[in-house]
Amino acid sequence: MTTLAFLQLGAFFLVLMLLTKPLGSHLARVFDGQRTFLHGPLGWLERGCYRLLGIDPAEDMKWTTYSVALLAFSLVSLLFSYGALRLQGLLPLNPQQLGAKQMPPDLAFNTAASFSTNTNWQSYSPEATVSYFSNMVSLAIHNWASAAVGMAIAVALVRGFVRRSVEGIGNFWADVVRGTVFVLLPLSLVGAVVYLALGVPQTFQPSAITQTLEGGKQLIALGPVASQEIIKQLGTNGGGFFNANSAHPFENPSPLSNFFTLVLIWAIPAALTHTFGKMVGNERQGWALFGAMSVLAIAGVLICTSAEQTATPHLSQAHIETAATALQPGGNMEGKEVRFGIAGSSLFAAVTTGASCGAVNSMHDSFTPIGGLVPLFNMLTGEVIFGGVGAGLYGILMMAVLAVFIAGLMVGRTPEYLGKKIEKFEVQMAMLATLVLAVSALAGTALASAFGTSSLNNAGAHGFSEMLYAYVSATANNGSAFAGLNANTPFYNGTLGIAMLMGRFLMIVPLLAMAGSLASKTPAPSSSGTFPTDTPTFAGLLVGVVLIVGALSYFPALALGPVAEQFQIGSTH
Amino acid sequence: MIDLFFVGTTLCFFALSVVYVHAIEKLRGGGRG
Repeated sequence: MTTLAFLQLGAFFLVLMLLTKPLGSHLARVFDGQRTFLHGPLGWLERGCYRLLGIDPAEDMKWTTYSVALLAFSLVSLLFSYGALRLQGLLPLNPQQLGAKQMPPDLAFNTAASFSTNTNWQSYSPEATVSYFSNMVSLAIHNWASAAVGMAIAVALVRGFVRRSVEGIGNFWADVVRGTVFVLLPLSLVGAVVYLALGVPQTFQPSAITQTLEGGKQLIALGPVASQEIIKQLGTNGGGFFNANSAHPFENPSPLSNFFTLVLIWAIPAALTHTFGKMVGNERQGWALFGAMSVLAIAGVLICTSAEQTATPHLSQAHIETAATALQPGGNMEGKEVRFGIAGSSLFAAVTTGASCGAVNSMHDSFTPIGGLVPLFNMLTGEVIFGGVGAGLYGILMMAVLAVFIAGLMVGRTPEYLGKKIEKFEVQMAMLATLVLAVSALAGTALASAFGTSSLNNAGAHGFSEMLYAYVSATANNGSAFAGLNANTPFYNGTLGIAMLMGRFLMIVPLLAMAGSLASKTPAPSSSGTFPTDTPTFAGLLVGVVLIVGALSYFPALALGPVAEQFQIGSTH
Repeated sequence: MIDLFFVGTTLCFFALSVVYVHAIEKLRGGGRG
């Protein structure tokens, strides 16, 4: 790794840590229903939403009611997007005259499922497929809603640990409205202006046609990009306005915008660890989670960057200079933008896959086998390395429940977390959520291995990695693509759409059930035998559990993909 | 026709998810009994 890579990583974590406490405290106040400095200018909007939708924010919901509200909201918004995408040719803001021909039923299903689950997998080229209206309404509505839903689920699970002997875990509608109005909206307004200042366009003009130096004509796609870009990153959505996503100069013009984007992706997930600490009344609990996530994150960045900087033996054999010098970045630059280099691309890959964002600024398909293994493994952990907005916190809490259960087994005591006894039902729910992810990702890959190989651009281990990556990305609701796989076919659109729905809702429901069960319990007073969960020891145990669950569940699949490819490269050396 | 298939698939998934919610609640109740 170069000095620049270390400096960038250090600066990134410094900014992230500085943001975590103030933003996390604000989130805790918002979801506790307390007054914040934003209630003055935006309180009318919250009250208006409640009045318009007939919501009583004080009404507490049982976990079953909370879950059904979540499912109903997601179903309605998914069907709305499906219809609007199919009818985009009849709707306004469509200067490129795009219609149902560009958006057939299987693609509309995949896209609507993708955006409503916070995945934002795109089997299509956006600038040639979706109108401005589709981008700004049919899809953007999910960029806001799915992020707000993620935060709501995480906070509902935290309430399970905080509340005593009650059935309620909060009000789904109030949580979604508060997260949207007091968190996503103000941050997006400020962030969109920053993106504009950094050179990201915002216009309703149709694509520009220019003359190239050779005398040919070139179509330059434009559009309302800045307003999409901010919620795409802040909400860990990741769906690009352009096909090249964050590698496109109009989405991510410079190293500075790249750094700003990285901070945006992890800002809320990192802050939510502090929110957790505030809500449970012990900030050290939140920092323990932050520490565990950071260890996993830094390890991933170091491995990925080192692998990309080292490159492959083939480059050396071809007498290509692979060392970083003042004039060239060295290493493996295939599929990477020169303006970001290896450090900016590897860090981005680790951040976007740790965070279930899915935005990409480089081709993950062109990474070395070990470099490509890192984004894949980040997603296989269940997106707990800061994770998606809300999804990261509820994912790591699920792992924390497993960690205290394992610790309890080792010392022969009834496991407890934050004073709540972790019993059979909680462990069943944590395992159910874990298994749903494994079944969806691995069964999907198995199906594709039998019926989807004609879409591959590579054979052998690399081709397997492309299929595995697609189903892991869909199941983990990440949405980044390895590339090299033509996923815009009825088979992939259908099966990946189902994988996204399974990865989102079949995982969330057991966690809400766990929240309901925990809320109904009375916390036991801590004693000398209580396993402390706010220490570096617990953070270490948590890291171990995440790695073991990931390794045991997925190592055979990884062995067939990136691990086999690494050995193949070694054997040709 | 194909639209109906995908809309139907979506409706089936969410209907089964509601059944999943109630099955888990039953498991929780059974576990306590």
